[in-house]
Amino acid sequence: MKRYTILIVDDEKRYADMLARRLTLRGISTHACYDGGSALDFLNHTPIPVVILDLQLPDMYGLEVLKKIKAALPDTVVIILTGHGSEKDREKSMALGAHAFMNKPLDIDRLMDIVSECNGIA
Amino acid sequence: MKESLRRALGFVWPRFQEDDDAHLNPYFTFRDHRRTWWMVIVILMTTALLPLVFLTITHYQLVQKSIDIESQLRTERLASNARQAVTLFFEERLAALTFTAKEVGYDHLSQPGYLAEVLRNLKLGFGGLTDLSVISQSGKQVAYAGPFNLEGKDYSKQPWYMECQAHDACVSEVFLGYRDMPHIVVAVKSFQQDGRFFILRATLETERLIQTMSAFKTGPHVDIFLVNQAGLLQTPSEYYDGEARQTDIQLPDHSESTKAMLSADRSGQPIVVGYASIETKFSPTSFVLMVVKQKAGMMKVWLDLRREINWFFVASAIVITAVVILTSSFMVNKVFKADRDKANTMAMAEQNSQLASIGQLAAGVAHEINNPLALINETAGYVKDLFTIKAQYQHDPELMEQIDSILDAVDRCGTITRQLLSFARRLDLRAQAVDLKKMVADVINFHKKEAAYRNITLHVDIPDEIPRIETDRGKLQQVILNLVNNAFQAVEDGCLLDIRAEMEGAKKVRLSIRDNGCGISEENIQKVFDPFFTTKKEGQGTGLGLSITFGLVQKLHGNISVKSKPGEGTTFIVTLPVYAEREAA
Repeated sequence: MKRYTILIVDDEKRYADMLARRLTLRGISTHACYDGGSALDFLNHTPIPVVILDLQLPDMYGLEVLKKIKAALPDTVVIILTGHGSEKDREKSMALGAHAFMNKPLDIDRLMDIVSECNGIA
Repeated sequence: MKESLRRALGFVWPRFQEDDDAHLNPYFTFRDHRRTWWMVIVILMTTALLPLVFLTITHYQLVQKSIDIESQLRTERLASNARQAVTLFFEERLAALTFTAKEVGYDHLSQPGYLAEVLRNLKLGFGGLTDLSVISQSGKQVAYAGPFNLEGKDYSKQPWYMECQAHDACVSEVFLGYRDMPHIVVAVKSFQQDGRFFILRATLETERLIQTMSAFKTGPHVDIFLVNQAGLLQTPSEYYDGEARQTDIQLPDHSESTKAMLSADRSGQPIVVGYASIETKFSPTSFVLMVVKQKAGMMKVWLDLRREINWFFVASAIVITAVVILTSSFMVNKVFKADRDKANTMAMAEQNSQLASIGQLAAGVAHEINNPLALINETAGYVKDLFTIKAQYQHDPELMEQIDSILDAVDRCGTITRQLLSFARRLDLRAQAVDLKKMVADVINFHKKEAAYRNITLHVDIPDEIPRIETDRGKLQQVILNLVNNAFQAVEDGCLLDIRAEMEGAKKVRLSIRDNGCGISEENIQKVFDPFFTTKKEGQGTGLGLSITFGLVQKLHGNISVKSKPGEGTTFIVTLPVYAEREAA
């Protein structure tokens, strides 16, 4: 079974794929899910240390997904990556146990810093 | 200077809508304050002045009537008294002559010396007698006593002689006769022993008669005189003395009792005329006693009172008018100011809400553009990664694909920007007559192929009775195109799309576009016209189509509404005026 380091959850397929490719180029194995349900399913049978989670998902709100991940797998590092993030969202996310809150467009170097930090943790 | 004058006049002439208030017109409660002002003034003036006018007119008429009745009564009474005096004057003298003729007899009276004695005694008793004469049955004067030597004159042709012959007594009119001075003849008939009659005649000075009458003159505005049946003056009159000595008062038929009537004198002044025929118990006379009174002089107190009341009326009317105008101006001015303040506030509120909408719009744009930008960012970043991390990809065909992806994302940004622009753009309407049926057919044409391919049934029912509507062709076309596009995107393959039009009253056309697609949920139906609201998948719709349509329909002075039931379908209803309205500035 392939081991993934990062799970990308974003409703926009092309965006998720592109981010996956960029991370792959940097030697990180990734998997992409396009809605909350399939992401939770995937996590259930494939433990992954880091999840990059969008807040706008077609089936459920990202914070809900975050709550469920943290409930089932409290050790998973969740990084919120959203295009519509408000201060309120940030506060809520951090309260629910998100590791970081990032806005789109993404600064890949900062993401890499956070991920490498997490590798130390996870 | 002009402004201060205007401010001073503001109490009387209030300020109303001016040209620079034109943008506030839709917010005013009262359309035309000037008209309101006029109406208030007219209504208040009418209610305040009408009773006053009514009272004044009634009072005027009452006074007029009282004056007339009172003056007629007074004149009648005066005429009656004067008539009694004049009648008595003649009756006394006729009685004296009758007594003399019967008591003394013809034989003594025909002696001039004796006759002179009788004349002297009569003068002592009554006065005003000039002479006395005895006339035989043949009309010849047989005896005379007096200052003129008239013995032997023949009177058989004189009217008084003939009158006396017929009535036993007579009173002549005033005439000059042989002696050439005004006098009145009174005569009585008596009989001699042999059965022949004789006439005892006396001449009266008119002076005594005039004195008798002038005793009844109660003031300078009263004139009392005698006229004969033909209206010729018999005694002097203040009003009618002149060469002709003819009065121009039209007297009614002979009247035994005293009467009074209203008339006008030569200069048109109202007068009251009292009149009565003089009839002695010995014989009728041709005299008519006339009393002429000047109404104005007689009723001076009444007329003064009336004038005072008229002045009171005028003064009250002026005061009421001033109070009404000042009050109305004050109130209407207050109302206008309040109304204008309200209009200002409303205009400001609308502007604020517009600004809020624009702010919302800007936030929406920022959000929406962010997603494609994020994609551009990642894609461009990936391309850069390829160059920097894997040098061997420099000529890889995959690059082409990624660049296309960037271009696609840029295109999405472009679409949003364009729609946003068309949403915000405020172009003037260009109204022209549009055939709705043809326009719908044109729009449907775009979709014919798609409909056939997706097996969508298109049903169009636009009756020929629908008139051509005056509207902006381009905007209407965009509205229909947007709604049809929207419907095509909402329905599954094999569904039905129904477009129909009908008149709503005489001035509106209702166009409905119904589909039997998935419908819209109750919570979403409130938001369908909101900018950037979409149920489509990310990247497939901008959420601007229906809000643009909403804006366009409003611009066309129409209305758009939506009815939907989840699972049964959605109907968009656009109501448009048939005739173009003038666009409010």
